[in-house]
Amino acid sequence: MLQQSVRLALLSITRNKLRSFLTLLGIIIGVAAVIAMLTIGSGVREKMHADITALGSNQVFVSAGYRFEPGSPPRDAARPLASEDYRMLARRLVDVQATAAVARKSLRAIFGPNSTQVSAVGVTQDYLRIRNWKVTRGRAPTRAEMESGAGVCLIAPAVSKALFGSDSPLSARIRIGQMTCTVIGLLAAKGGSLFTDEDNTVVLPLEAYQTRIAGNRHVESIVLTARPGIMTARIKREAEAAFRQIRRIAPGQDDDFQAEDMTEIIKFTTDTISTFTALLGAIAGISLLVGGIGIMNITLVSVTERTREIGIRMAIGARQGNILSQFLVEASILSLIGGLLGIGLGLAIAWGATLLIGIPFVPSIFAILCLSGVSMMIGVVFGFFPALHGARLDPIEALRHE
Amino acid sequence: MNAVLDTAPLIRFEQVWKTYGEGDMRVDALAGVSLSVESGEFVAIMGPSGSGKSTTLNIIGCLDAPTSGTHRFLGDDAGALDRGRRAGLRNMHIGFVFQGYNLLPRTTALENVELPLVYRGIKARERRERAAQALAEVGLSGREHHTPAQLSGGQQQRVAIARAIVSKPTLLIADEPTGNLDTRRGHEILELLTGLNRQQGLSIVMVTHEPDIAAFAQREIGFVDGCIAYDRARAGVS
Repeated sequence: MLQQSVRLALLSITRNKLRSFLTLLGIIIGVAAVIAMLTIGSGVREKMHADITALGSNQVFVSAGYRFEPGSPPRDAARPLASEDYRMLARRLVDVQATAAVARKSLRAIFGPNSTQVSAVGVTQDYLRIRNWKVTRGRAPTRAEMESGAGVCLIAPAVSKALFGSDSPLSARIRIGQMTCTVIGLLAAKGGSLFTDEDNTVVLPLEAYQTRIAGNRHVESIVLTARPGIMTARIKREAEAAFRQIRRIAPGQDDDFQAEDMTEIIKFTTDTISTFTALLGAIAGISLLVGGIGIMNITLVSVTERTREIGIRMAIGARQGNILSQFLVEASILSLIGGLLGIGLGLAIAWGATLLIGIPFVPSIFAILCLSGVSMMIGVVFGFFPALHGARLDPIEALRHE
Repeated sequence: MNAVLDTAPLIRFEQVWKTYGEGDMRVDALAGVSLSVESGEFVAIMGPSGSGKSTTLNIIGCLDAPTSGTHRFLGDDAGALDRGRRAGLRNMHIGFVFQGYNLLPRTTALENVELPLVYRGIKARERRERAAQALAEVGLSGREHHTPAQLSGGQQQRVAIARAIVSKPTLLIADEPTGNLDTRRGHEILELLTGLNRQQGLSIVMVTHEPDIAAFAQREIGFVDGCIAYDRARAGVS
């Protein structure tokens, strides 16, 4: 019976290919939009997750600023972090494996006639290790060079290419802003992440950065990594308590610094993306409603066209339920076909988009199954009234219909 | 059907009225008709259009119920049944043959004939066997996979007859079965029906306005203005 209905439905759908297709446009577009949104969204989420975990998931970041709340003072109203803060913090914390302080500025790097915009980053000794950033040629600065603030630097591949082309940059002296430094090593390519392109980085000893570029003892952020087996949340609590003392914040006063652990950052960003894609997906879903109205319309047309057929079927013993289910099956198969076409189109769009913005293509089987189910349900829901109309026809009237 | 099957007539009308419209627009299509048809009879119903013969046929075929009065089918009050039960009754006991054949377009002869069995919930293999057998009975072996458009009018009407008899009904209803056919094909169809009536004891009620077609039946009932004008057995038949 069901098999018969399905075959019959397919027959009637394929008999009116163009009409079926036009009817389905709403569903196709709606499903495609939802699938594309979800797929691109999960790609972005995946990429962000990968980027953040590449930074290291056992890290806690400390920077100056008040908690972001309505009415809170702007971030730059807070006292900047200073090298002294960092040194005192590093001494006090026992559960950290490594610490680093970072300051950065966008500057022009010049070598001979060549120049390029770079991100000059002043760092302390453990920074490269924390970031798991390898030196592919040459060497990293020694502890002595770091502490004395020697005029040495490491450059990332894009900087090397811009300044030296295919020549070796090692031992060359380049100008970064007001400072001159000797290139002692080439950094491994990190590639772009969603936040930054790190391939245009120049890494300097923090000491040299502060004295010769920034002209102050400020630190932009402090990175702490937890010992194996220690929760970052604990490091964060310890750091907050220690920092309140170091910076002499009275009880009851707000922190003028923020410590964030990686899991929080990951959760926050992925939550944000999820909310965003869900919202866009919901908007796209409205098109599904319009598509459903199309299905309703075409089912009514189909019932009207086949009034006589309904009469014949009733005369030979079809009950109302038989007629109802026949048209419901037809409507739901029609909208399922629309859904499948929409899924195909949506995946194609998402695939193109992920290629374009350079994020992974992560189609969700769950979303595909869900939307197949949803589009079938649209057929059942929107096909119901016209199908019921058909089932309630008077057999004699229906047989008389021309 | 039940214990009265042997004694009760196949069809019994007791003071059947059928009224359409209301107030001034009221029309009595049937005005107190009483009749009865026994199992195995071949009855022709005649009469001008608007005389009530189609209404009678619709009620006999359980497509419609009387406004008042009783319509008994095999002793049961068929007029009192709800739509679903009437559909079941049609499916089990009644086969229909229409003037315009009323086959499903773009559907093969075999599938058309199978249809009543589909609604009876019979499995595909048995359906196909019985449908092929019914087509053979009406002389259409080898045309199982033709669609109505590929068949002549006479052949289409044979497919319709096969569809009507495939479920082994008690009663066959024929509404102007030869109306769209020329005399020769018409007579062939009637010979087929008479054969089914004589050999298998299939009861037939047929509406026609052609006397030569009505002549095939054993009994002729004439309608005028919603009433029976005459009801007579035909001489020389049966």
